[in-house]
Amino acid sequence: MFVMADNNLEEQYMKVFDEEFYPHADALFNFAFNLTYNESDASDLVQETYLKAFRFIDKYIQGTNAKAWLFKILKNAFINQYRKESKRPTKVDFEEIVSYHDEEEPNRYSGHIDLREEIYQNMMGDEVTVAINALPVDFRTVILLCDIEGFTYEEISKIIDIPIGTVRSRLHRARNMLKESLKEYAQARGFKDKRS
Amino acid sequence: MGNHQNHQELVRKVNMYLDNELSKEAERDLLREIKTNPAYLEVLSKEKSFREFIKSRVHRRKVSPALIQSIKEKIRIHPS
Repeated sequence: MFVMADNNLEEQYMKVFDEEFYPHADALFNFAFNLTYNESDASDLVQETYLKAFRFIDKYIQGTNAKAWLFKILKNAFINQYRKESKRPTKVDFEEIVSYHDEEEPNRYSGHIDLREEIYQNMMGDEVTVAINALPVDFRTVILLCDIEGFTYEEISKIIDIPIGTVRSRLHRARNMLKESLKEYAQARGFKDKRS
Repeated sequence: MGNHQNHQELVRKVNMYLDNELSKEAERDLLREIKTNPAYLEVLSKEKSFREFIKSRVHRRKVSPALIQSIKEKIRIHPS
């Protein structure tokens, strides 16, 4: 919390922005882009995130987890944007955006894939990015937050408001979906599964 | 439990280990199994390479300095 005299507050806010908030701008933009697939929308989301962070800065406890706090703001801004665009009169939360269940489908995804195979090693970043972007938003989100941004299950749970158990099962399924999608891509390019 | 479910359970556990989300006791048990069972080691190796592969191939975008500048100006113009 900020406890300094008012005339020093603005200076202190700017210090927090410079030292704790702005260093996460690239990560926020990356996450926003992967949610929206659009550079301009991603820029708007990042801008909205920082403006909201400024408006609610008195709720931020200096020196705590700024990155997780900013990601949560961005996630909420994304949902609000979605709500506006869909013009739905009722309350929509993150769970309603998604159309997939978190229950396991044990026989659908094999998970038997060895990314050390030469075909995968030759894959370019674009192919992997396309595969991630093809995941439904809830699965894409946990992969990005955990595997790319390095958040813990607890942090992810707080950012997207789901129980830790759901984070765990969603991640497991998202990784299997991603492996499956990369395998299909490789097979389409002539790679044969050596197990068959 | 079938072979597939056993395999998926192992993959889930290995991933939690790589995410640093296993309890100390569960981690110790898993590492013991990995030491003695080559199939477990193989799963660990595959999952680890999957992480490295994804992380190394994902194209990370950078925010434009103009956007940050514009945000800074807006914050200065509209203090709450």
